[in-house]
Amino acid sequence: MRRGLISWSRDEVPPLVLEGRVARLQERMRDAELGVVLLYTSFARPSAVAWLTHFVPYWNEALLAVFPTGAPVLLAAFSKRVHDWIRSVSHLGEVRSAPDLGQATVAFLKERPPQPSRIGVLELDALPWPVAEPIMKSEYGRAVVDATDLFAAIRQPADEVEIRLARRAATIAVQAFKAIPTGPKRASELLSVLERSARLDGAEEVLPRLAPDLRADATLRRLDGDALLGERYAVELSVAYKATWVRITRCVSTQAAPPSWRGAADRFVEAVEHLSEANLSLEPQVAGSARPGKNAAWTLETCRGGPPLSIVATGEAPSPSELPGGSLACFSLQLDLDDGPWLGGEPIILGSRGQPSRLLI
Amino acid sequence: MSGIPGNARAERRARLARAMADEGIDVLVVAGNPWRCDYLRFAADITPVEGHAFAFIERGRPARIIVEHPAEARRLRAEQTDLDVRWSLSAIEETEIAIRELGKRRIALAPLAAVPYRLAMGPLVASIAPATALLDRLMLRKSPSEIEAFRRAAVLADEGYAVFRQAARVGRPEYVLVAEVEAFLRSRGCPENFQILGSGGREVRGMHPPTERRLAPGDLVTTELTPCVDGYYAQLCRTLVLGEPSKTQERAFAVYNEALEAGIAAVRPGAKAREVARAQNEVFRDHGLGDYVTSEYTRVRGHGLGLYVDGRPAVLEDADLNLEPDMTLVVHPNTYHPEVGYFVHGDSVRVIPDGCEVLTRTPRRLFSVPLV
Repeated sequence: MRRGLISWSRDEVPPLVLEGRVARLQERMRDAELGVVLLYTSFARPSAVAWLTHFVPYWNEALLAVFPTGAPVLLAAFSKRVHDWIRSVSHLGEVRSAPDLGQATVAFLKERPPQPSRIGVLELDALPWPVAEPIMKSEYGRAVVDATDLFAAIRQPADEVEIRLARRAATIAVQAFKAIPTGPKRASELLSVLERSARLDGAEEVLPRLAPDLRADATLRRLDGDALLGERYAVELSVAYKATWVRITRCVSTQAAPPSWRGAADRFVEAVEHLSEANLSLEPQVAGSARPGKNAAWTLETCRGGPPLSIVATGEAPSPSELPGGSLACFSLQLDLDDGPWLGGEPIILGSRGQPSRLLI
Repeated sequence: MSGIPGNARAERRARLARAMADEGIDVLVVAGNPWRCDYLRFAADITPVEGHAFAFIERGRPARIIVEHPAEARRLRAEQTDLDVRWSLSAIEETEIAIRELGKRRIALAPLAAVPYRLAMGPLVASIAPATALLDRLMLRKSPSEIEAFRRAAVLADEGYAVFRQAARVGRPEYVLVAEVEAFLRSRGCPENFQILGSGGREVRGMHPPTERRLAPGDLVTTELTPCVDGYYAQLCRTLVLGEPSKTQERAFAVYNEALEAGIAAVRPGAKAREVARAQNEVFRDHGLGDYVTSEYTRVRGHGLGLYVDGRPAVLEDADLNLEPDMTLVVHPNTYHPEVGYFVHGDSVRVIPDGCEVLTRTPRRLFSVPLV
């Protein structure tokens, strides 16, 4: 659960930008003849609501109701005492207390019947059953349709505000990597330094995953307890700043960095430049790169719904989905080098048709 | 890298297998996500970091897992080599298909809090409530290895609070205090902590995630600190004052301390959770503060702890649940005080045969932090 800095700076994210995003959704709603769109938010799926309102739940859950006109209304399963805090960190028309979120939504719809009557729900399949059941069993259930694609269609490409937040998140991660002391022996020592640096820099959340001994195993793990660090290890930091997530992966050697890693880094950049909205696959060109190593795994992720990052394309599944040029995405690559595995990851701006993608920082 | 010993994992699975046999369940499908991973941790000892995860639990067989991300799949395979893990971009749909392929076996789906709509709309909807209740029963009373993890989490809560007190200095923003605590907890191998706080005076009505507000002389600084060890959360609530406490702050503290002691004294096997709530609330009423134990000013007088940070029972005056040995909970009369603002004070306890054992050891004081 989030326990880093959650605050809203009107300079970083002006209310007009949030209102513009809501207006884009409302325009699509009118085209799709939807009288309301309901967007669920929780610690696990905060990003759609955060993008529209800047609200991030540090625990508990809420449902945002967006009507074709007017400001969004938040039905929040939080104590009323928290409403002032919610208002201080987000841009909302109204905050309503909704301890039983599903029932409260039905009551709210009775009070403000959607016009037209069709109700869009973001990621309907994933809506938790205690929230979904009262809605689907009510008089409004038959009017519910899935609004996942509708929302995804407006979510990317990223606007300048989001790109600035992502740059800040990436900078927080990079600073944390720079704070790694020389020769830490244990994972706990390393993660403590990373966590401290990122949180002191204002990270809203930081999720580290670690391959503590890269020569033995390249699997990035969630550390529960401790582990000895090998001579080479890899760290993936997923960092949120003001609800914008990036993922950065770095290999670290306690000795001089092996020469093969320079070639791997070049290959990483080559792969990034290869990607664009017209081509979301690394095969076959980069697989046949003259640079050293072999692609072992790769993923391209973006935010286009409730989850902070979800997969657009990966070497482990055949069919990438579409993503427009200018989208903010995170690219992760694992290479098998002659002297062991190498992992890298960076946020990127996806190239438009005919243009290469570029690293965010 | 899960910290829970393999024998503890096996012990949980054995308890679950017995309960499934008693209820005539062949396959239990357990849903989870990073927000509600408690049931998954109990059933399969997996902790999703991102996306949905589903575990198929069958008696006598390793769990089958479906997740949404290939990196998560690799991680879980590395953590437990006997797991059968696959991933799918459409994990919910994949799980629906896998359930269908189980044919006419007796299948149940849980927990209520995490089952997604698409799965609940299928034929297993009637199984959700009883299967959730089955898991709740198993998770309520802790085994010796679970108690041991809870005990270690309580130690970390105490140590973390010492770091918090050290970090609480005039001029520092709230988020710096949390950063220092998180760094400390990580240094002790603790991957997760739920922490909220508040700072200021009478205007403060509750706690929240840390903000950029800078601490000022005379502030009350509250925190609820909840580290997690091997999946088990323990919680400590304390309030400190920056500078010397005022007489009013000391008087307020005395009320909360009396309420906490009364609540803890009420924790014993056979007592209902409502008695623990009432014992605390009566203290406030006796001091003319009865308005401040209503939902207008506070939420609960404590709650269960375990694999979820805010578990059963909710300690409220209408909570019927009987306390039993080896239940674990936090008792906290946290609420608003009209003269000093929001105030917190709470300890983690374990129900034992003749009462309760208090596991957090931080002194019950209104801590004072020097101004320089």
